Amino acid sequence: MNRVLSLLGTTCAAACPQASRVLCVHLILAAICGAALAQPPGDRLASFFVGRVSYGQNAGRDCGDVGQAMAKLVAQVSTIPVQNERMVSLRDNAIFETPFLFMNGHNDFVLSGAELANLRTYLEHGGFLFASGCCTNPAFPAAWRRELSRVFPGQQVQAMPYDHPIYRSFYRIGRVRSLHRNVDVHLEGLFLKGRLAAVMCEDGLCCAFAMENRCNVGRGVSPEDGRKLALNIAVYAMTH
Amino acid sequence: MTRLVFEYPPAWLWGLPLAAAALVLSVRSLRQYGRPWREGAVLAALRGTVLVALVILAACPVLVESEEDQKKSNWVVLLVDRSASMSLRHGDRSRDSEAVQLARSGLLPALKAADLRPQALLFAEDAASADGQQIAAAQPDGKQTNLARAIVRGMALSDRPPRAVIALTDGVATEDADNARAISALAEHRVPFFGIGCGREAGSQVLALEGVVAPPLASPKQEFQVAARLRATGGQETPRFDLLLLRDGRLAQKKAVSPGSGPRAWQESFSVTENDEKFYRYTVQLVPPTDPAIKCPATAASTMVRVKGEKEFRVLFVQGALTWDYKFIRLALSGDRTIKLSGLSRTASGSAFFESSDDEKDLVGGFPKTSEELAEFRVVVLSNLRPGDLNPAQQGLLAGFCGQFGGGVLMIGGPDTFNASWQGSRLEQLLPVRFASAGRRAVDGPSFRPQITSAALSHPVFQIGDGGDHRAAWANLPTFSQYAVVDSVKPGAQVWAVYPSAGGPDSGPPLMACQRYGAGLSAVICVQNFWRWRLAKPSDPQHFDRFWQQLFRYLAEGSHGLVAIEVPDQRMQPGPRIRLTVRRRPDPRTSQAAPQNYRVLVKDEKDRPVADQALALRPGASVEIAFPAQQPGLYAASVLDAAENVLASRSLEISDVSAEFNATARNMEALRQWAALSGGMAVRCEDCSDAGKLVREIKARAERPRQDMSRRTPVGVNGWVLAALAGCLCAEWSLRKRWELT
Repeated sequence: MNRVLSLLGTTCAAACPQASRVLCVHLILAAICGAALAQPPGDRLASFFVGRVSYGQNAGRDCGDVGQAMAKLVAQVSTIPVQNERMVSLRDNAIFETPFLFMNGHNDFVLSGAELANLRTYLEHGGFLFASGCCTNPAFPAAWRRELSRVFPGQQVQAMPYDHPIYRSFYRIGRVRSLHRNVDVHLEGLFLKGRLAAVMCEDGLCCAFAMENRCNVGRGVSPEDGRKLALNIAVYAMTH
Repeated sequence: MTRLVFEYPPAWLWGLPLAAAALVLSVRSLRQYGRPWREGAVLAALRGTVLVALVILAACPVLVESEEDQKKSNWVVLLVDRSASMSLRHGDRSRDSEAVQLARSGLLPALKAADLRPQALLFAEDAASADGQQIAAAQPDGKQTNLARAIVRGMALSDRPPRAVIALTDGVATEDADNARAISALAEHRVPFFGIGCGREAGSQVLALEGVVAPPLASPKQEFQVAARLRATGGQETPRFDLLLLRDGRLAQKKAVSPGSGPRAWQESFSVTENDEKFYRYTVQLVPPTDPAIKCPATAASTMVRVKGEKEFRVLFVQGALTWDYKFIRLALSGDRTIKLSGLSRTASGSAFFESSDDEKDLVGGFPKTSEELAEFRVVVLSNLRPGDLNPAQQGLLAGFCGQFGGGVLMIGGPDTFNASWQGSRLEQLLPVRFASAGRRAVDGPSFRPQITSAALSHPVFQIGDGGDHRAAWANLPTFSQYAVVDSVKPGAQVWAVYPSAGGPDSGPPLMACQRYGAGLSAVICVQNFWRWRLAKPSDPQHFDRFWQQLFRYLAEGSHGLVAIEVPDQRMQPGPRIRLTVRRRPDPRTSQAAPQNYRVLVKDEKDRPVADQALALRPGASVEIAFPAQQPGLYAASVLDAAENVLASRSLEISDVSAEFNATARNMEALRQWAALSGGMAVRCEDCSDAGKLVREIKARAERPRQDMSRRTPVGVNGWVLAALAGCLCAEWSLRKRWELT
């Protein structure tokens, strides 16, 4: 458990010494989540929301309400208001009002020149892109690596070892096991001047944290690991 | 001529009959005693004297001194301005040649013809008598214009006041310390002032380099700006000119400047990066335009910058919830390894803060609990906090951090951050704005682009553009949708940005402001989602990054270094006592309060010491020292410790720049005011082609009787009269006693 949960647990344990620490933490998280989601809508830009990207031929609707699921995860750890996901096109300037973008898909894709230029400017200006292949389909991750190298020629997407801060930005994640392969799952990232600007998980991460792996049964990562990874990515994006 | 008048004549009408009646009654009562008539006559005379004296006093007698005596004086004071502003040219003539020609060929002969003896004085900072040749040979090089002192000097030339004071000047007075003396001298002696204005209202074209601004301390391989402060006056277009940047006497950079038309004051910046750690002397040289009509009174100015590797300093970012501002500010600081940002975010209501810094050694317990813990940081940023998030003790800690220990405090955010419930809090006391009440705090209006004030554009924090084009860089800000309304800006605070307003520049509601609070600085940015500036498509992220790096360096300035050198005088001119204040900063981490020995060394331009003083300072104490600087130039002050390590250094530019060229237009209004005060008149030089007519007008006005200004002296109510009255009454009482009439 990370330190935040330790602090919360300590507070709760002091209040009800007989209760188990884990139960207290979950009760608090549930209460916080409900309160945060009930906050009245204010300035949308002052809140956390996911810009769900449509790109190429993809309308950005794979694997249901991924953006909403991410917002719920963020609501658990912050008093920041959360909003529903927004559909944005990579060709559109609206991405420059959206500091956190999410893209996923099942298939191969090719970005247009306008999309490449927009994404390049967006990432250079500090935007963050989170991508996930759906249902452990290898076509999307391969295309993503290729297209990111087109966005920044000469830059390669790299696998991120477990000592990277993204694995401890909220939860302290030591290792993530693949459910269908005997390997550890690593996030992959694109670094700009040492800054992680885009991150991708090829093993159906969005299926895990948004759909409890119902669309990817027995494959990818477990829903618990998926939620932890997704939350770590969101917190990392908001703090780095 | 002096005459006696009674200010209350009705006293005679009722006083004399009453006195006569009283006297008759008195005589009748005396006759009842059957005394000899001689005794009654003596007593009646005494009483009558007293009664008549009382009637006279009741009529308020005053002595009125008329103009007759003044008319007997037949000399006039002729003041000729030889200050530097008289060297300005209009066409082919300068102001001083205009004045000298009028004086020699017109005014002096006309005065003599009118039987008025002129006493001429040349004046600038002071005045001195001069004859015609001296007036013709005088150079207009005075650094100040003190017209009032010249008036006083002129009137003191003789025991008898002059008939009039005539001044040939452009009316541009830069020193007014003697105004009260001059006004009272003119009024007391009823001497009219006649001002003859030389020059033109349009003003001459002046291009001046007023100084050089650069950070006193810079890091190696870190870009900083050396900015030249320039001023252009006059209505015409100033032609293109060159600015040279010399580093240690060698040409380093050159830039061409096209200032445009109209009067303006602005800065031109050179971007500089140095690798080696040492002192650098930067001189900006203005190459004047070839047009001889353009006056360039100051063409060079220098400053010194110490390039020294600085240990990193820390910024604490406290936020009520995770904000995108934190992320993008962190990005902005990622290019500056000397500024380290630590985040402390509230996770949920009632829970603790957590630190999002990579280095998690401290802040485990949340917000620092002591001054010692807070002193690890030089700047604290507050965002998205509500009053409940910082208790009074923590707010007091912040106030001490800023006011006592020189830390910087910045509050950034929108309506949620600038919450009305902060009103009256300790935090509000240290910030440069007052919080608005609940009904006024939130603004959801059309998108707006913050308008950067002129004061901010010349501030080092706002020098973000490439090649010194800062105005264009700020014009490229994106639009924002929300801002926090604050009640007002506190006196002394500097407004950096305002909401665009139809009321003109700098007049809208404040969006950014800063103020000194004790030893530190506090600032606010009342714009929601300021991070959008970096992410916006047309933006240049380097501008955003520079702004934040410079802002944090500026806010951290107050707590930088162990010892600080401060200069109390804003503008230093050559003189025997240039003041410096050496202050040892208070530091909660140093428990011992023992005084430390320091040495203050001041060197002149040629590296010769002009002051070398030992002093001992306790934490928080300060000592003022003074050194002589007879010559203008760049002086360097340093504070050394016992091991001769330089703890603080500062360059001091002792400039001899004349203030005469700040305003170059002829100031007829000032001359009219002098004339109105004394019953004289003000005329333009070009209207004085007929000097004889002018002198006749001067003479007529000088001789015009002015009853309202006659000297009126009350008489009668003084010790002698009262003593005489008392004597009369005593004598009457004594005689009555002797003659047994009581």
